[in-house]
Amino acid sequence: MTSTPMPAPAAGTPTANASEAPADEGLRAGPLVTPAPAPATAGSMIAIEGVSKWYGDFKVLTGCSTRVARGEVVVVCGPSGSGKSTLIKCVNALEPFQEGQITVDGTRVKDRGTNLPKLRARVGMVFQHFELFPHLSITDNLTIAQRKVLGRSGEDARKRGLDLLDRVGLSAHAKKFPGQLSGGQQQRVAIARALAMNPVVMLFDEPTSALDPEMVGEVLDVMVELARDGMTMMVVTHEMGFARKVADRVIFMDRGEIVEDATKDAFFGQPRSERAQQFLSKILAH
Amino acid sequence: MFSNFDFSVIAASLPYLFGQGMVFTLTLTALAATGGIVFGTGLAMMRLSGIPGVTQAAKLYVELMRSLPLVLVIFWFYFLVPYIGAWVTGSATPIQVGAFASALVTFTLFEAAYFAEIMRAGIQSIAKGQSAAASALGMSYWQTMRLVVLPQALRNMLPLLLTQTIVLFQDTSLVYVLSLTDFMGAASKVAQRDGRLVEMYLFAALVYFAVCFTASWLVRRLQTRVAIIR
Amino acid sequence: MNYTWNWGIFLEPSPEGVGTYADMLLSGLSWTIATALCSWVIAFGLGSVIGVLRTLPSKTANAVGTAYVELFRNVPLLVQMFLWYFVLPEVLPTEIGTAVKQLPDAPFYTAVLCLGFFTASRVAEQVRAGIQSLPRGQRLAGTALGFTVAQTYRYVLLPNAYRIILPPLTSEFLNNLKNTSVALTIGLLELTARARSMQEFSFQVFEAFTAATILYVLINLVVIAGATLLERAVAVPGGR
Repeated sequence: MTSTPMPAPAAGTPTANASEAPADEGLRAGPLVTPAPAPATAGSMIAIEGVSKWYGDFKVLTGCSTRVARGEVVVVCGPSGSGKSTLIKCVNALEPFQEGQITVDGTRVKDRGTNLPKLRARVGMVFQHFELFPHLSITDNLTIAQRKVLGRSGEDARKRGLDLLDRVGLSAHAKKFPGQLSGGQQQRVAIARALAMNPVVMLFDEPTSALDPEMVGEVLDVMVELARDGMTMMVVTHEMGFARKVADRVIFMDRGEIVEDATKDAFFGQPRSERAQQFLSKILAH
Repeated sequence: MFSNFDFSVIAASLPYLFGQGMVFTLTLTALAATGGIVFGTGLAMMRLSGIPGVTQAAKLYVELMRSLPLVLVIFWFYFLVPYIGAWVTGSATPIQVGAFASALVTFTLFEAAYFAEIMRAGIQSIAKGQSAAASALGMSYWQTMRLVVLPQALRNMLPLLLTQTIVLFQDTSLVYVLSLTDFMGAASKVAQRDGRLVEMYLFAALVYFAVCFTASWLVRRLQTRVAIIR
Repeated sequence: MNYTWNWGIFLEPSPEGVGTYADMLLSGLSWTIATALCSWVIAFGLGSVIGVLRTLPSKTANAVGTAYVELFRNVPLLVQMFLWYFVLPEVLPTEIGTAVKQLPDAPFYTAVLCLGFFTASRVAEQVRAGIQSLPRGQRLAGTALGFTVAQTYRYVLLPNAYRIILPPLTSEFLNNLKNTSVALTIGLLELTARARSMQEFSFQVFEAFTAATILYVLINLVVIAGATLLERAVAVPGGR
């Protein structure tokens, strides 16, 4: 049960967010997360080492290796079918992989002894189609995992959930149901739901691809805020504006391989591979 | 566990079970399925016709049949058919039509309600966009039906119609309540005559399972073949 | 037609000695309802488990679920009824078998078990279809939040699946109710059986069957009205 080196955040763990924050509406009310504490162990938050994955005979990932340091924001891009969504889902073991290893905050993902639910509870994930639970109110969406997975009391969970809902500017909607919100609003709730678990890292799987264009901005604003607060983030996205603004590094994938893994400036300045150049020219052309 | 059971009773009664019982079951199934599909198509068209009175009459019939247990309907027609026969022929006394004819009428009329629902759902499942597209190409109502809607609807319906026929095949065992000698009736008669209930009922279950399992498997194969890729 | 109608028959005493023919039919109705409700409890519980088994990421669980559904769907209900009633007590150890046979109301318990197991295979198919109709991301989202498989089903998948399959489950409930009439073959004195015996005693065939028909239609209407209320009560605001 205690295979993870860091204790899971206990109920009532003092964080900047849990303290009494002014109940202002809007995105700028305060930091979304506690800045990451000094590394407890040396090394990266996420270490992906030689990961390969097959669906039957079809190889979807080929020897992928990269690292995400504490507090770093890494954008993963590439054409559809390049394996980027699959790779990010391997990080919290939503997708099994056959070869290689992934270590998240010192815990090996592919290890018999690893308590996967416990690991996943500390890794926030935001999905393309939001995946709020349609039968639960916004408040219940924000609190159910805190209560059932982290064992927080209803009151603590509620306080934390509503606090985060306030930070994403949606506290007026606490009693509504997902079907009553716009796509952009749902995605902001989904981000708050993930943050409510006090994750040590946040994964975003194309968080704006399913949104109407006019709603992309509100979601990206929340993500930019989160990045500036020091959250460790791995983001699969085509939003190159977001990458330019807050990414520390950009990873370019094609046909299941990591083709390019460079700092933001190097990637946008002069991508080394021809495939990345082509991709960039296509995506920036319109 | 089965040491005091005698399974040789099965071998001895095979000609009776299949030669009489199964032939009866299959004949009843085939005839009632054919009649049910024909009458069911009529009901479905009536329901979709939009003609006031006709639509409601078909709906009432279908809903009434679907809300009654088959066993009750079997009894209803067993007693009603002789009177209907008398009325049709103008006879003064109820006409003895025989249990088979009565069962056939029952299953045809009962299953027609279920077939009609499958047809109606099949036709309605073809998206309005398809009819609109066909109309936009200048097709008439009947061209739209014949060239666009029905070919797709039939593909969707075919597996369901066949599955319903398998259900009908199983349902025919209920003619037991009229003491008819279908497959189950035959098995039950042997079982009671020889006091071999365990052996005969297990064997009957096995035969029904083999037939229905194989048939459903064939329907599933057919389904993947005729399915329209969307 | 030379049939003599006699609608007053319902108020005449039945040959059973107590009560009228109407009482006889109503007693049948109560057995029908009791059998339907008790067997539905089994069907719903067991069917949900089997349906879930067929959606788990385990080959063994899938195989068990599929085997159950195929077995109970491909044997006619009448045959299953006979297997439970005539065959099961014989293949059980002698003492248990004898005890079962001497049970008071044995046809009722047998019918409840038989219908419960039979309808479970149909409920299972609906539950499976409901779960599989949910977006794959729902399961992933539950898993990503740290829910165990059981928690994901309990808090995410099943509450949504049940809402989606409420209409087909209502049909299965009604099918189960109608199927109770098959239990007259093992001696359960449910509504159809009572209508049949009224016909045998009084020769008023059509009055007896008309009354039974009206009662069945009424139960159908009540169940449908109840299901509509339930659907409204559990409807999610802003849902489809």
